[in-house]
Amino acid sequence: MSLELNNLSILKQGSTIFDPVNLVIKPGEITTIMGPSGCGKSTLLSAVSGSLDKVFTLKGSILLYGSNMADISMEKRNIGILFQDDLLFPHMDIGSNLAFAIKEKTSRVQKSQIIDKALKTAGLEGFEKRDPSSLSGGQKARISLLRSLLAKPSALLLDEPFSKLDQTLKAKIRLFVFSQIKKMNIPALLVTHDPRDCPEGGMILNLNKEKG
Amino acid sequence: MSGQAKGRIFPVVVISLFCITILAGLFGTLLPSLNYLPVIGYTRISLSAWFDFFSYPGIQTSIFVTLFSGITASFGVVCLAFLFISFSYGNALWKFFEKILAPVLSIPHAAFAIGFGFLIAPSGWLMRMVSPVLTGFTRPPDWIILNDPAGLSLTIALVIKEFPFLIMVTMGALGQLDIKKTLLVGRALGYSKEQIWLKILIPRLYPHLRLSVFAVIAYSLSVVDMAIILGPSSPSSLSVLILKWFNDPDMSFKLLAAAGSLFLFFMVVVSILCACLMERAVLVFLRPWITNGKRCSFVSPLKSIIFFMGCGTLFFTAVSSVILVIWSLTWQWRFPDFLPATWTLKLWAKGLMSSFDPVMTTLFTGLASAFIGLLLAIGCLEHEVAAGKTRTRNYTGYIHYFLYLPLLVPQITFMAGIQFLLVIMNMDGYWISLMVSHLLFVLPYMFIALSATYIAFDERVTDQAMLLKRSYIKVLFRVKLPMLIKPILFSFAIGFSVSVAQYIPTMLVGAGRFSTITTEVVSIASGSDRRAIAVYALIQQCLPMMMYAFAIIFPKILYYNRKGMQV
Repeated sequence: MSLELNNLSILKQGSTIFDPVNLVIKPGEITTIMGPSGCGKSTLLSAVSGSLDKVFTLKGSILLYGSNMADISMEKRNIGILFQDDLLFPHMDIGSNLAFAIKEKTSRVQKSQIIDKALKTAGLEGFEKRDPSSLSGGQKARISLLRSLLAKPSALLLDEPFSKLDQTLKAKIRLFVFSQIKKMNIPALLVTHDPRDCPEGGMILNLNKEKG
Repeated sequence: MSGQAKGRIFPVVVISLFCITILAGLFGTLLPSLNYLPVIGYTRISLSAWFDFFSYPGIQTSIFVTLFSGITASFGVVCLAFLFISFSYGNALWKFFEKILAPVLSIPHAAFAIGFGFLIAPSGWLMRMVSPVLTGFTRPPDWIILNDPAGLSLTIALVIKEFPFLIMVTMGALGQLDIKKTLLVGRALGYSKEQIWLKILIPRLYPHLRLSVFAVIAYSLSVVDMAIILGPSSPSSLSVLILKWFNDPDMSFKLLAAAGSLFLFFMVVVSILCACLMERAVLVFLRPWITNGKRCSFVSPLKSIIFFMGCGTLFFTAVSSVILVIWSLTWQWRFPDFLPATWTLKLWAKGLMSSFDPVMTTLFTGLASAFIGLLLAIGCLEHEVAAGKTRTRNYTGYIHYFLYLPLLVPQITFMAGIQFLLVIMNMDGYWISLMVSHLLFVLPYMFIALSATYIAFDERVTDQAMLLKRSYIKVLFRVKLPMLIKPILFSFAIGFSVSVAQYIPTMLVGAGRFSTITTEVVSIASGSDRRAIAVYALIQQCLPMMMYAFAIIFPKILYYNRKGMQV
């Protein structure tokens, strides 16, 4: 009942790029979309986030807690995204990177408390003043997730977020991400081509290419 | 091979040229400012020139008006450029800017200043457009718009002329940032595009643009040709005053000119230091604003004001060219009329005849300096490529530190010094020194224009060709350079247009023996016959345009049947 895709399909030059998708993701749940590269997984995500390229047209509806997202611009949707690159702002320290996400009406003291707490959950206490480029890949991935979550999104999209991490790290980061989503109790949509990325017991949808 | 990549002579020559001329120029200015100029009999070191300088009548006003117009123009144009990028990056207006940037940039400062003056003067075209219907004027009003004592018209003209330059360097620097993804991340966090630009992208962009901003500051404070045409007259801005002293028949004024130009250099240095401090301060003070968490979309009046101003700069540039064309074809044009009553080609015939010699000097100097500039730039870049291949020391890398030097020191300061030294060595007034003085300003722009495309060239093509031909020179001239013909010609056109626009080097190093179209334009600009002035300004404007046209058309003709070269 929280993130709903109804009969969603995307058209390019008049023809759909995959079969219509029907999905309901409840808060705290993670649904995985699988499929080979080029099947339109990322296009589907950009449709949900609101950054769909103008060459595509959207059919069907996207509902977030009952409200239709169609005419709402990306920045007003309140949907967070996590990419495979960490995309931390390289000229700001970790603390500022996180503070950038926190919404207004928070005092500076409150803000630094929120940041402290967030860093603690990721096992990165005292990282406020660190330069993003001095962090390891796994640390960056965790900060990047924290940043997305500190904006208090109503839903989270994950665009192959683990694909650039090495094997030993992947499992750890995956668990961290999934537990945080559970804790936030928001619906999440994960796109990947690696079956091991799917959370246990989560729903999996294979994206089929439209034939003919 | 002794572990050195070939062609290191090129960067060494370039770096020595830059260092020696600028150091010699500063030294050559320092000595006369300390009362030492043996040629005219001053050999006792003293500070008298400095005392004379500071007690010169009206000097405070000169300094103040220079600072006011220079700093206001630099600050204004930097703010305008950053806001314009933030509000219009990627939209239709931005794409239009990308297309017309080269011709707009190729307009020489003097020609633009003249056209701009013809627009805004009390009897100018703008006034004619609204007279007498709206204003009731049947005669030009008695207003001081041109050469206003506060330097406002000069300031506005500087902003209009520097704006496309800053946009061009920004476009070059944008490639180094991941703009698309940063915008996605920011918008996913709930920020509008404009906010992401101002809070995240501009602070990241600024370090890449710092040197260009410094160049804008140095230029705005020390501009001469535009200041003669549009700037305040009595007292005039400092740079104009210095040139006047320099050309004074009373030789003792040269000492005053030396002191003045060193003081101008000091003003530039202090202003650049202030810009650095301001950058720091802005970073500190804006940090709370950057992370204040406010999400709002900028559909504010500010956005439309910036759009309006961005388009305004284009409008004024375009219309000031149009008014030049109209005036150059005018026979009779009474004041409130919107267009001339009678037209003629006589002024063109006369102007083309009388400008023949200066135009030839301009052409030869421009072609020679752009050609040598091209040789040096390609030599340096080839060395950089070779050093990259053999993993040896890359001397060209050092060039970037020196490239901006001639653009950061006021031209009048070190050109005056070079002229003093040339006089001392009895070598002044040779064409070759004039050409080299142009080269100092031509080369940086050519190098900046060429390097990115040149370095990005797919070296597998040359490697393949080397296997077939086995001669480096043959491969370079038959394969690589022909493939790079477009950027090469383009950089040549840029170098040529920079040379055409040079005023101070020609005035000082030419020692009055050479006149180019630019010195002619500036010297007749104060005259009363607008028609003759317009013809000269247009000739000055046409020379670079023709070179750009050649750079665009020639590769198309050369490769009309090669689809792979038509990109």
